[in-house]
Amino acid sequence: MVAQQIINAVSLGGVYALLALGLAIVFSIVGLINFAHGELMTVSGYALLASLFLGFPFPAAVLVAVACGALAAVAMERVAFRPMRGASITSLLLTSFAVSSLLKVVFQNGVSARPQAIAMPSWMTGAFSLGDFTIGVGPTISIVVSVLALIALEVFLRRSVTGTAMRAAAEDFDVVRLLGIPASRIIATAFLLSGLLAGLAAMLWVAQRASVDPLMGFTPVLKAFIAAVVGGLGSLPGAVAGGFLLGVIEVFLQATLPAAAAPYRDAIVLSGVIAVLLVRPQGLIPAVRVQRS
Amino acid sequence: MPTSLYRRHHAALCAAVFGIALTAAPALAEEIIIGAATAQTGGLAPYDQPALAGLRMALDELNAKGGLGGKYKVNLIIKDTRSDTAQTATVAQELIDAGAKIMITPCDADPSISAGQLTQPLGIPTLTLCGSAPVLTEAVGDVMFGTYPADNVQATAVADFAIAEGKKKVFLLTSPDATYTANLPEYFGKVFEKKGGTVVGRGTFTMGQPDFSAEITNIKGLADQPDLIMTAAYEPDFPAFIQQLRAAGVTIPVYGADAIGTPTIKGLGSLVDGVVFTAAGYAEPGSKLEAFNAAFAKHAGHAPESTYEVNGYEIGLILDEAVKTAGSDDPKAIRDAIANLKDFDGITGKITYAGTDRMPLRPVALMRYEGGEQKHVETVTPDAADVPAP
Repeated sequence: MVAQQIINAVSLGGVYALLALGLAIVFSIVGLINFAHGELMTVSGYALLASLFLGFPFPAAVLVAVACGALAAVAMERVAFRPMRGASITSLLLTSFAVSSLLKVVFQNGVSARPQAIAMPSWMTGAFSLGDFTIGVGPTISIVVSVLALIALEVFLRRSVTGTAMRAAAEDFDVVRLLGIPASRIIATAFLLSGLLAGLAAMLWVAQRASVDPLMGFTPVLKAFIAAVVGGLGSLPGAVAGGFLLGVIEVFLQATLPAAAAPYRDAIVLSGVIAVLLVRPQGLIPAVRVQRS
Repeated sequence: MPTSLYRRHHAALCAAVFGIALTAAPALAEEIIIGAATAQTGGLAPYDQPALAGLRMALDELNAKGGLGGKYKVNLIIKDTRSDTAQTATVAQELIDAGAKIMITPCDADPSISAGQLTQPLGIPTLTLCGSAPVLTEAVGDVMFGTYPADNVQATAVADFAIAEGKKKVFLLTSPDATYTANLPEYFGKVFEKKGGTVVGRGTFTMGQPDFSAEITNIKGLADQPDLIMTAAYEPDFPAFIQQLRAAGVTIPVYGADAIGTPTIKGLGSLVDGVVFTAAGYAEPGSKLEAFNAAFAKHAGHAPESTYEVNGYEIGLILDEAVKTAGSDDPKAIRDAIANLKDFDGITGKITYAGTDRMPLRPVALMRYEGGEQKHVETVTPDAADVPAP
């Protein structure tokens, strides 16, 4: 039972880590908390729905959906955030809220306010036995995908020129620009990566929930924000640590709280967040150059 | 959305005024304003919208015959609550200011109560589209009416069925976030225990929660394994729960209530095989409901998604009957007429308010998902003595 709960925690934490990382990448470069990050997941979710509806085989539909998330992120930067470049953090924040609300309404009125069912392939709802306990295929995929994505991102940031430039930009954007690296490319890449991460997270999210709805991005972006803050805003390792920590706390409380205290679960989680921030105001693993929005 | 609606009403109003001017009938048609504070967006929209579509169809038909009671042309003003309880109170106040003499509220207890707080002092009869929590009417007062089979009635019907099937041990999954999700499984538990079953465990979830794995692991870890899981979770929580439950290898049957009788849940296909739920009625061949479904399809351009449409339509019929009995458009007289309705012939069966706490007595249809289809199990009217108190 304990082992099972650990798997649950890692599986949930992995999804949170992907989401928080998506927020953190953009924040580390642009200083913007993109609250429309959740809507990138919604875009991916509906892209999956549409691709399946058009008769794409499942793996192709997933690829299309993730790609749509990435493209939507780049488009979002181009349309909404690029004209705002140089604006105050508050303006950027409000812009992201506006984009988020707009997309929600577009999906509600354009598709349907009703959640749309996505029947996952039957092998994904299966389970396999390992020793004494059964492991669901869903959580396993969730863990594997999150870990692979985290490794791939790490390799990209360490080994590629753009990745190195991005890490440098997170520390001091002005110097990177002085060295002749175009700012637009770095920012676009940051959004592209955040969109890819949102797309992947959306697939794992949808696989667990079997439906997509216009408001599906709200909870994840909130969780990602909490994870990113706990981890240390703008710090990529911090976002991952924060995501896993949040997942572990949530599963632990869900598993152990007595029924009478269960309604206070979210309150307890958030109190824990405050406690962490009291002890480490910059988060678990603070960013090298701390920015605040 | 508000713009287009406003335009539509504006147009309707113009048409009405114009129509009156043209006909210049000897008996000038009087107008009655019905305010609909309902969710066009947000989590309740999938429930409010079908119900409202049914109500609009009824009112259109009644208006063609002269209006409520053949006398009062209905001017239906619809405002969006965004599925938000505070916003519901705001738009309810706007509708009252616009002169609403009858109020229609969303498919959930909490926003309905917030609207009811405003209509109660004014004596404006208030009907929830498909809110089914029996505490709803008591929480507001004598102007508040339920229309859908109440949660405790639905729960009794499902519990009776589970007992008859030989189920003995149930796990109750509730959420404190809404009256419906919190109480319905507990009503089930009460009836189930009274009839010899046991509740072997309880779990909770937060609405919109992404992950049910910890709760599911708790279920798997129960020493006394349940042979049934009862929940009032609906979308998007119900799909998430059952997806993760089955993915974890748990095959225990899951039963629910009316909120999972929707195209979304049906669209889950084999995942929901065996899930039992309730409906306000079942369209048996030759029944009035079958005729209604056909008429609705012609009216709306698509078949009804659930029984919320017919329930909304019946609200129109109830109002018509009440205005006819009251003989006026006085809100208090209409309220009294609804409260005294007895054995009114609706589309799904007989509807009675007289002698109740304004939650109607009406039959409940038990349904089951099988192979991606909704199959009718039976239609029952639970024994009033078995129904637990709200």
